[in-house]
Amino acid sequence: MTSTLIDTTIYAAISEAIQQEAKRILTDGQVSTIVGYAAARRKGSAQPMIITDAADADKLIFTPACVNDLVVYLTKAKKDIPKKGKIGIVVKGCDLKALTGLIGESQLKREELYLIGVPCAGVLASTFAPSQDLTEESIAPKCTECDAHLPTGCDFVPTETPLTPELEKKYAVEIARLEALTPAERWAYWKEQFSKCIKCYACRQVCPFCFCEQCLCDRNKPQMVETTPRPAGNTAWHIVRAMHLAGRCAGCAECERVCPMDIPLNLLNRKMAKELKELYDHEAGFEVLEKGPLTMFNEKDDQSFIK
Amino acid sequence: MHPAKQKHTFEPKIIAFVCTWCTYAGADLAGTSRMQYPSNVRVLKFPCTGRIDPVFILKAFQQGADGVLVSGCHPGDCHYIAGNFHARRRFAVFRKLLEFVGVDLNRLQFSWVSAAEGGKWVEVVTDLTEKVRNMGPMTEFKELATEEQWSGAINTPELKEAFNAI
Amino acid sequence: MSRIGVFICHCGENISRTVDVERVAQEVGRLPGVAFSSDYKYMCSDPGQTLLKKTIQDQKLSHVVVAACSPRMHEKTFRKAVEAAGLNPFLCEMANIREHCSWVHENIEEATVKATEIVGMMVERVKKNRVLPTITVPVTKRSLVIGGGIAGIQAALDIADAGHEVVLVEREPSIGGHMAQLSETFPTLDCSQCIMTPKMVDVANHPKIKLYTYSEIELVEGFIGNFQVTIKKKARSVDEDRCTGCGVCMTKCPQKKIPNKFDQNIGMRTAIYIPFPQAVPNTPVIDRENCTKFKTGKCGVCQKVCGPGAVDFEQEDRLIVEPVGAIVVATGFDLYTIDEKPKGSPIKGYGEFGHGKIPDVIDGMTFERLASASGPTGGKIVRPSDGKEPKQIVFIQCIGSRAREKGISYCSKVCCMYTAKHTMLYHHKVHDGQAYVFFMDARTPGKSYDEFWRRAIEEEEAVYIRGMVSRLYQKGDKIVVMGSDIAVGVQVEIEADMVVLATAIQPQKGADLLAQKLGISYDKYNFYSEAHAKLRPVECATAGIYLAGACQGPKDIPETVSQASAAAAKVMTLFSKDKLEREPIVARVREAGCVGCFACRKVCAYGAVEEKEIRDRQGNLIKVVAYVNPGVCAGCGTCQATCPSKCVELDGYTDEQVIAMIEAL
Repeated sequence: MTSTLIDTTIYAAISEAIQQEAKRILTDGQVSTIVGYAAARRKGSAQPMIITDAADADKLIFTPACVNDLVVYLTKAKKDIPKKGKIGIVVKGCDLKALTGLIGESQLKREELYLIGVPCAGVLASTFAPSQDLTEESIAPKCTECDAHLPTGCDFVPTETPLTPELEKKYAVEIARLEALTPAERWAYWKEQFSKCIKCYACRQVCPFCFCEQCLCDRNKPQMVETTPRPAGNTAWHIVRAMHLAGRCAGCAECERVCPMDIPLNLLNRKMAKELKELYDHEAGFEVLEKGPLTMFNEKDDQSFIK
Repeated sequence: MHPAKQKHTFEPKIIAFVCTWCTYAGADLAGTSRMQYPSNVRVLKFPCTGRIDPVFILKAFQQGADGVLVSGCHPGDCHYIAGNFHARRRFAVFRKLLEFVGVDLNRLQFSWVSAAEGGKWVEVVTDLTEKVRNMGPMTEFKELATEEQWSGAINTPELKEAFNAI
Repeated sequence: MSRIGVFICHCGENISRTVDVERVAQEVGRLPGVAFSSDYKYMCSDPGQTLLKKTIQDQKLSHVVVAACSPRMHEKTFRKAVEAAGLNPFLCEMANIREHCSWVHENIEEATVKATEIVGMMVERVKKNRVLPTITVPVTKRSLVIGGGIAGIQAALDIADAGHEVVLVEREPSIGGHMAQLSETFPTLDCSQCIMTPKMVDVANHPKIKLYTYSEIELVEGFIGNFQVTIKKKARSVDEDRCTGCGVCMTKCPQKKIPNKFDQNIGMRTAIYIPFPQAVPNTPVIDRENCTKFKTGKCGVCQKVCGPGAVDFEQEDRLIVEPVGAIVVATGFDLYTIDEKPKGSPIKGYGEFGHGKIPDVIDGMTFERLASASGPTGGKIVRPSDGKEPKQIVFIQCIGSRAREKGISYCSKVCCMYTAKHTMLYHHKVHDGQAYVFFMDARTPGKSYDEFWRRAIEEEEAVYIRGMVSRLYQKGDKIVVMGSDIAVGVQVEIEADMVVLATAIQPQKGADLLAQKLGISYDKYNFYSEAHAKLRPVECATAGIYLAGACQGPKDIPETVSQASAAAAKVMTLFSKDKLEREPIVARVREAGCVGCFACRKVCAYGAVEEKEIRDRQGNLIKVVAYVNPGVCAGCGTCQATCPSKCVELDGYTDEQVIAMIEAL
């Protein structure tokens, strides 16, 4: 069955532009480190790479297999990145939204970063081999709803323009389907999904916003959330995580990608994003916000649900 | 004085999270005025609705609450100026999450009850209690709690008995 | 291992009538950790409290639960008793089995079961209670007063007379504010400066008042009891210690035609000047923008003629840090103007009145300066344009005020009274003059106010026309006023020699910037917000900062003076102890876990969250974390509910305590 191919011819030019820029800024000392993508061992696959030597700049690539949100390396794995000088980072639009959110939460300083934005037509879904073509079928669900193909406010962006056709918004469709069910049907759906969870916490490890030194759910005095991988504990874990991300999640969908049990985690986050947009006109974007939607209020906020 | 109380088969468990300065005081006023209402509610006092974490609501359901009530000061009257404004946003978002996951929102009630509104407290508590009584016990979280993942089915009479005893 | 003592009160019959208290005591006595459980008739009575204290000591209790009335009733009582017995008061909790149980449920079985559960819940909670020592914050017994108008002056005098040092900071070269500009004051018509200057002199001479004039607040740091305020003392170009106030410099200054702000720009002054003759301090200031010496390098006559050699052209602005324990904000008001406002401004001007360009259309304060005996015209009411005496003056009320379409919805409170006063002053000075007043309502609620207003109409021949004015335009050397008389139902046109507009009272320019420096709230008009509209009108939500006068809202002189004294009383209460004692229900940050996202700071309404640097032994910065100031935190806990990892905990309402309660049910 043939599926519409998505135009990725610009990716080669983008890779070259990144390599040249990386070489330039490392050589003249503008940055001490660059976090980017490089080819990995499997055919067509990509992996995150941290380079400090201008000679390694040629290793940087950008392909539809560049699925990782590199921003997470600026938060949790900061210990691996040298503290001196600026850090360069390759960001897609979705990654940049996460980065912007982190600046708003005092976790990153814009002046310590050199942003290399990439015009992105989309990346592959996790269920497809990295050597596959990028098509309407194989594109990651998050890309079907993307409004950030061209990142802005970066220090360097290759001049290519991404062309992505209008695709059916996969999450919106699924959210609408679930919203149309009865509460009991929805509970049954999520019960099945959450039962799969093995509490590996990969979703937490890969999320740029899960930067708490000690996760609430790891504490036992008091124990707010059960840690065992029973359906009760899993449900509580996912509900609490979705609530903690509400208003902050940038929609990079890494959580869904890394889940070994294929739980539709980004569905929960996209639903919350939809509610926040409807209730408080909030969206993750490229502008640093002084306060997120849940750390501010408006006197006229909706209270139709309150007696 | 009171009509003969109807004997009910199911007594719902209602947990209420309230703020000290308004709703708790309103409930005190209902007491001072000797207003009568169903005895199913258990009140937890907080300094402000701003302190109430959505996790508490989740915990309450997990502990077997059939209905949960969260109540505080009217907007603009918060003793701590803005705590209830933050709570309002937090709960508007949280209930949407619970609804999406399949919790029937009829079991979760929010209200503004001021220190002068003893009558409103009685009304809110009675309404929720009766509504939840008609809905029946909340089975979702209780069933979830009895399910194990790895050991699979509860397929012997001894196991069944042991689980029922929890 | 807990040794909890549980005391179930009968409260006479109030509880025991519907709750089987003995049964509750028995059931609760079986709970793990409960070492003593018993019932008693009246726990709050003297013998009841003695029983409590004795049992604590005899049974070596570690915690106490008193099941009785609402904690809002007696929590303090029992905590005091517990403290007297040697136990930290926060290890005592109350279970409400009266207002929330015995009084609202008739069925004994139901009420008893519920009471048992409530007490059981509090037993589980109290196990998680920690010792909370009272928080003490040292208090610097010096007060800052910002603003030297009548509000600031009154507050400063009250606090200083009580024996505490006051630092009074005034932006203008002299104290006195707007009250010094007034001619006569309602409802008695006594001369404003005559009643005010004695107070101004008191301030100057008071041994406890340190007066900074021609100075502004640069920076405010610290918190209640412990503020450090940086004051910018602008350069007067005159040495205050040497100047004798002889005034020769002013007579010799060649720049004589600079509009004097104090005289509403219809009077002139020199470049080296004092704003008015009764200025305190009587030390001149050089207006460097208009001074020949500073503009061209030539002149310098004032320095040559100054006997004591006080003129100092090299003088520079200075920054001085003053430690204070309380701040009274008394910055006063400014008047609305009808000129054209910038695009996008929420407040609009009056194009229909010529945007302030029609000559002889003045505001109320300008009329005061005309009427004032020490004013630019020596008390003669004349037209600013040609100096002629106006025979017909039209006064228009509510300019800007009560005008939603212009962006101001509130009433400015004082204008009905001062316009009536103006008609009377005009009548006294121009016997054949006629005053017309266009008004909507007459708001005269004070003592002798309505009688004053009626006097204007009945004795002083002012003609009051109920109706609004739609347009003013120039016709020759007169101003045509087009208005309506709604009592009769006709359109009215008056050819006036002068029009006086009762313009709205607004907060001072820069009020919002000062509020941001202080960390206090203000409303959309920039009036400062009080902590509670009815019950706490002179305090701010920010601890240690108090409000007095028109900066909080339009008000007349008696109210201003009352509020100033009230603010002073609040300050004196604060200073009555050496240490400020606060209930320890405050938030605390667990610094090991904090990642410095400052979500807590974003939601704190009191500004209690500060930044704290965590450094290693070599002094390298490891991370910046949040720190909650225990002197400022009000104890609402919003920070804790917002923090994703719950690294900030509200003592007294920790997650452990709450979860223990939920799990007990």
